[in-house]
Amino acid sequence: MTAVAFLIAFSLFADESAKPRVRCAGVADDSFERDVWAKVGVAKCLTCHRNGGDAEKSAFLLTDPRKTADSARDAVMQGNRAAFAKMAAAKERDQPRMLLKAVGDLDHGGEQVLGKGSPEYRVLADFVRRVNGQSTKTPPAIDPKAPPFFHGVTMLDDRRVLRRATLSLAGRLPTDAEFAAVAKEGRSALPRLLDDLMKEDAFFDRLREGFNDVFLTLGVDGNPDQTCLSYEHFEKTRHWYAKHDLSHIKDKDKRQHEEWKIAREYREALLGEPMKLIEHIVRHDRPFTEIVTADYIMVSPYTARGYGMFDEVKGKFKNPNDPFEYAPVKLKALKGRGKQENQDSATGFYPHAGILSTFQYLTRYPTTETNRNRLRARMFYLHFLGVDVLELAARVSDAAAATAKYKTPTMEAAECVVCHKTLDPVSGLFQDYWRFAEQGVYGKRKGGWFADMFGAGFEGEDLPPKERWRSLQWLGERTARDPRFAVAMTEHVYYILTGRKVLLPPKDFDDSLYAARLRAYSEQRKQTEAIAARFANTGFNLKQVFKDWIVSDFYRVDGLATEATEPCRRAELDDVGIVRLLAPEQLERKVTAIFGEPWGKLQEHTAMLYGGIDSKEVTDRAADPSGAMGAIQRAISNDVACKHTARDFASPGAKRKLFPRIEPEVLPGASPDDDRRIREQISFLHERILGRHDDPGSAEVTRTFDLFAGIVNDAKGRKGIEGRETYHCRPHDKDDPGASADDKRYTIRAWRGVVTYLLRRPEFLYE
Amino acid sequence: MSVSYRRDFLKLCGLAGLGFAAPFRARGVDQPNEPYEGPYYVVFNASGGWDTTYLMDPKGIGGINRLYKEGDILTKGAHKFAPTRKHAQGGMSNEEFFAEFGGELLTFNGLDYSVNNHSPGARYMATGKLDSLAYPTFAALVAACRGSSCPLAFLTFGNYSATGNLVAMSRVPYLPSLKNIALADSIGGNPKAGYHDDFVLDRIEATLGANNEARRTQPRLPRAERGENMLYGAQVNSKALQRVVQYIPKNNPKERLSQQAEIALASFKAGVCVSANLSIGQFDSHANNDKDQMKLIPEFLAGIAYLVRRAADLGIRDLLVVVIQSEMGRTPDYNKGDGKDHWSIGSAMFLGRGIKGNRVLGATDEKQFAVPFDPKTQRIDRLNGDRIRPEHVHEALRELAGIADHPLAKKFPLGVSDERKLRGFWS
Repeated sequence: MTAVAFLIAFSLFADESAKPRVRCAGVADDSFERDVWAKVGVAKCLTCHRNGGDAEKSAFLLTDPRKTADSARDAVMQGNRAAFAKMAAAKERDQPRMLLKAVGDLDHGGEQVLGKGSPEYRVLADFVRRVNGQSTKTPPAIDPKAPPFFHGVTMLDDRRVLRRATLSLAGRLPTDAEFAAVAKEGRSALPRLLDDLMKEDAFFDRLREGFNDVFLTLGVDGNPDQTCLSYEHFEKTRHWYAKHDLSHIKDKDKRQHEEWKIAREYREALLGEPMKLIEHIVRHDRPFTEIVTADYIMVSPYTARGYGMFDEVKGKFKNPNDPFEYAPVKLKALKGRGKQENQDSATGFYPHAGILSTFQYLTRYPTTETNRNRLRARMFYLHFLGVDVLELAARVSDAAAATAKYKTPTMEAAECVVCHKTLDPVSGLFQDYWRFAEQGVYGKRKGGWFADMFGAGFEGEDLPPKERWRSLQWLGERTARDPRFAVAMTEHVYYILTGRKVLLPPKDFDDSLYAARLRAYSEQRKQTEAIAARFANTGFNLKQVFKDWIVSDFYRVDGLATEATEPCRRAELDDVGIVRLLAPEQLERKVTAIFGEPWGKLQEHTAMLYGGIDSKEVTDRAADPSGAMGAIQRAISNDVACKHTARDFASPGAKRKLFPRIEPEVLPGASPDDDRRIREQISFLHERILGRHDDPGSAEVTRTFDLFAGIVNDAKGRKGIEGRETYHCRPHDKDDPGASADDKRYTIRAWRGVVTYLLRRPEFLYE
Repeated sequence: MSVSYRRDFLKLCGLAGLGFAAPFRARGVDQPNEPYEGPYYVVFNASGGWDTTYLMDPKGIGGINRLYKEGDILTKGAHKFAPTRKHAQGGMSNEEFFAEFGGELLTFNGLDYSVNNHSPGARYMATGKLDSLAYPTFAALVAACRGSSCPLAFLTFGNYSATGNLVAMSRVPYLPSLKNIALADSIGGNPKAGYHDDFVLDRIEATLGANNEARRTQPRLPRAERGENMLYGAQVNSKALQRVVQYIPKNNPKERLSQQAEIALASFKAGVCVSANLSIGQFDSHANNDKDQMKLIPEFLAGIAYLVRRAADLGIRDLLVVVIQSEMGRTPDYNKGDGKDHWSIGSAMFLGRGIKGNRVLGATDEKQFAVPFDPKTQRIDRLNGDRIRPEHVHEALRELAGIADHPLAKKFPLGVSDERKLRGFWS
C-alpha cells in the first residue's frame, strides 16, 4: 500500500486516541417506530395495507405518516401502533395471525413478505411476544446522559457562514457592508442579507443550474426545435430561423453565421424554458407549488417564434430581439396537421401544469410502447414527491416465476402489484402525451389506453373522465397538496446547497452501527421536516427554504472541538458537514469572485474530467477528486496564480485584489516590521482565498510565511535565476507600468508560489 | 530517490515543519507513485438487458428464438451458443467470438438477477447488494483495495458506478484530454517551460504535505477527514498521469467500446488504473428484439475482443480479468411488438487471469427458468441446489481478486454464508 493510500485507509479505521472523545448517544425507547414501523411497517406492510393500496379492504389498515401534516404525525403513529397491536394479538390455529400472514400463510394477498427467521421477522415476532406479554426483552432504555446530536461539533461563525452562502448562491464574496452587518447584528442579519442576495441575477443562475441537476431538462436528446416541438403541431413555425429575414447582412458567409447563431441561441433558449419557470416563480416570490400547477410556460422572443405566437406576445418583452428574455404565456390548445392530432381542451388553452407538462420535461423522459409512461411516473414520484419507487426494490423469491405465472403480473402478482398499483395510475395520467422518439409529444394512443394496467389516477383516487383533457393539471393540484411535496422540495434545496442527497433510513438491522445511522437519519429528517413545514406554512416561498437550511446547524457545521473516535459516534457524524468538492461551474465562479475573472478552461471535456455532468448520460457530479481532477487542480492553481500575481502587483495598492498590504521590495527576515507586514499580507490572502481568519501570528500563517521566506531564500543562493518574472506570468499589457515585472529579489515569484499553494488547499477547492 | 534529492527533501520537510515519520514522506515532491502492475479488472456491461438466448444460453425451442432452431445450436468445446453469423449486423458473431475466446471463457447460466427493473438490477449486478445504495461496485472496491493511490484507479464509462466513498471515480470521455492536464506544472504542456522553478514546486509540495499533516492531528469530522485526504492524495498522485501520455494512440477507434477500451488500456499500461467499467446501452429491446440484439451483441463482443487483442499488443493480456454481464435478461416469449420484455434470469461470462476457461456452469431449463445449483459441487441440483444470485458471484469475484478479507471489503459484507459460497468456481 502506498503512503497516501495508507493515509486514507488509516483515517478510515483509526479510532484510538488519547484525546477527549465525543461519545454517541444511547437510543431512546421508541421501539415501535424505530423497529417495527421502520423495519417492517413501512418497508413491507404499508405498500398494500393503506387506502388506495392493494389491501385497502383488509382489517389491517395503516396510514403513511410521511403524507401527514407534522402536527398529526404522532396521532397517526399511535393509530398505526394500535393496528399492529390488534393484529399481533389475533391468533389462528393457536399461532399469531400476524406472523402467519407475514410468511405467506392464511392466503395472504401479498404472499410471503418476510422470510421466516429473517431479521425483519424476528423484529415482528418480538413485537408479537411483547403485545402478548411474553417478551422478556427490554427495549433499549433512554440514556439520561445522551448528549445533543451536535454536541462537540463546532459551527462556523456568522462571518464565515455569510461567505459560504454568498459564494454558493451568488458566486461572489460578501461586501464590506454585508460583513459589517453580521459583525453588528450577528446571525439575525443573515435572513435579511440572504433576501437581498436572492434578488441577484447570479442567484438565479445558480438556482437554474441546481434544479437542472435535479430535473436534467437540459439533457433533451437531439435538437430541441425538432424533438420538443413536433412536426405535427409546429411544422410551420419551429424552423422559423431558416426563413428569418437577414437580408440586411450582405456578406453571404456572415449571413450564414448569423443564421447559425440564431438557431443555436433559439435552441438554447428552448431548452432553458423549464428552469426559467423555476426562476420566474422564485424571483417573484410565487408559491413554489407552481412548478406543478402553473398555467403558463416561460417563452423568449425566439422560442415564441417557434411556437408561432411571437406577434401575440411580443409586447411582453423589453427587447423582442433578446433570445434569452423570458415572459410567462399560455399556449393555445395544440392544433395538428390532421383533426385527430388536435388537442382536447375545455378552455381552448394548453392545459399547462408547471414543469410536468412542458415539452422539454416530457421529451427528456420519453416513453415507448412497452414502457407505457412508467418512466415518467417514476420520475414524477422522484422529482415531485421525493419517492424513488425503484431505489430499494424488494427482492422476490423468484421474479421470473411470478412473471410467467400470471397473464398480467403487474395487476395480479402481489410482488409486482405493490409498486404498479402506485405507479401505473400516474402513468395513465400521461396517456395523451403518447408520441415516441422524434414524433412529437402530444397525441393519443390508437385504440385507447391499456386495459391491462391500473386505471389513471393518483394514490387511490381515479381520474374522472371529464378531467382527462387536463389530467396533468389534475395531478399537479394533488401533488401540491401532498405533504411529501414540501419535503421533496426541501430535500432538493439541501441537494443544491450540499451537493448530496439527504440520508436514507438504514436498512441493515444487523449492522452494529444501525442505531447510530438511524439517529443520523432521524436528526436530519427532523430538520428537513421542520423546514418543509415552515415552507408549507409560509406560502411555499422557496427562498425561505434556502434561508432555513443556511441558518441550520447542518449547514453551519465546521468541525469538531474534540475527537470523535468511537465507531458509533463516527457513524452518527459520517454525513455531517458540507465538505463539498466544488463542481466545475462553481469553481470557475469562485475563481472569478476572488480574482476578478474565471480561469475559463473548465469547459467541455475538461469539465467532464473534473466531474461535471452533461445532463444526458452523465447525470451525477463527482463527489471525490480523482487523480485527473488533482492534475486539473494543479493546472488551475499554477495558471491562475501566474495570470494574477504580477498583474496585481502592477496595479496601485488600493486597487489590488490580492496584495494590498505589501510591496515586492519587502523581504522576509529583513526586519521585524517587514516580517509583520508579510504576515499581515498572508493573513489577508488566507481570508480572501481560503475564507480563513488566521491571526498573523498563528501556526497557519507561519506555515505560509515559511513557504514564502523559503522560496526567497532558496532563490538567493541559486545561479542562473532570471531577474524578472517568467515571461508567461507577466502582465500582458505592454503599456502597463508593471509589464516588465522586475523581480530581482524573487519576491513576486515567491508570492506566486504562495497563491499557487493556497489554491490547492481544501478550503479553496471544497465548499 | 537520489542521495542529493533525499537530502534536499529532508531539509524541506524540516523547513515545512514536517516530521520525518509522516506517512506521506515518500511522495509528494516530484516522485510519482509506483506504477500499478496488475491484475487489471474490466467489467463489460450490456446496459438495458441482453438476450442471453442469442448468446451463451441458446434455446431454439418453445418460440423463444425466431432466428434459429434447437438443431442449429453450435458448440465450441464446452460452450453452446446461438448461431448469429447470418444475422449479425456488424461487429463479431458468436461463432467468431467463441472460436477465439471459448478456450479461456467461463460461462455461468441461470443467474437469478432477482428483479425485473433496470435501476435495481444494475445496482445489484454491479455491487452484489440489492437493498443498499451505499455499496461500491466490484470495480470500485477492487480499485480501492488494490491501488487507491492510482490517479485513475477506477475508470467508468457508464452503468452503476457507486464507490462507497472508498475511491474516486474517474470519467475520461476523451483520451487526448488527458494530454492537456498530464503536464499540469508546465505552461501549455511544454515540459521545458515550468510555471515554477523546481525548488519552488518542491517547497509548495512540502508545505501542502505539512499542512495535511497538521490537519491530521486536529479533530476532524469524518467527511472532512475523507475529503482532505482524498484531495491530497489526488493531487500528489496526479503526477503519475504523465506516464499515460506515451500510450495515447494517435488514431482513436470509431467504435464505442473500443474507444473506452483504449482509454482503459492506456491507463493500465501506464500503471495508473486498476479497474474499468465499460458499457454500451440500448439493449432494452422491448420492440424488435431480434434486430436490436443482432446489432448490439455483435458490437459488444467486438468490443471485448478489441480489448483483449489490444491488451496482447501492449503485453498485458495475461494481467486482465474480464467480467461480462448485464442487469437482466429478456423474456422467453415475444411481445406484440416483436420485442422481449424484462426477465430476471440470465447469465454472466468471465475470462482472464486465474479463471479456467472452456467451462459452462449452471443452467436454465427449457422455459428459461433458473435451475438450482450446488455451490459446493459446482453442479446443478434441482432438488437441493441454491438460486445463484449476484451476491454469490461477487463473493467469488472478491476471492478471485484476493480482497475478500480486505478491511474495505469487510465493510461491505454480502451476507453469503460459508457453506453457500461458490467453491472452486474459478478453476
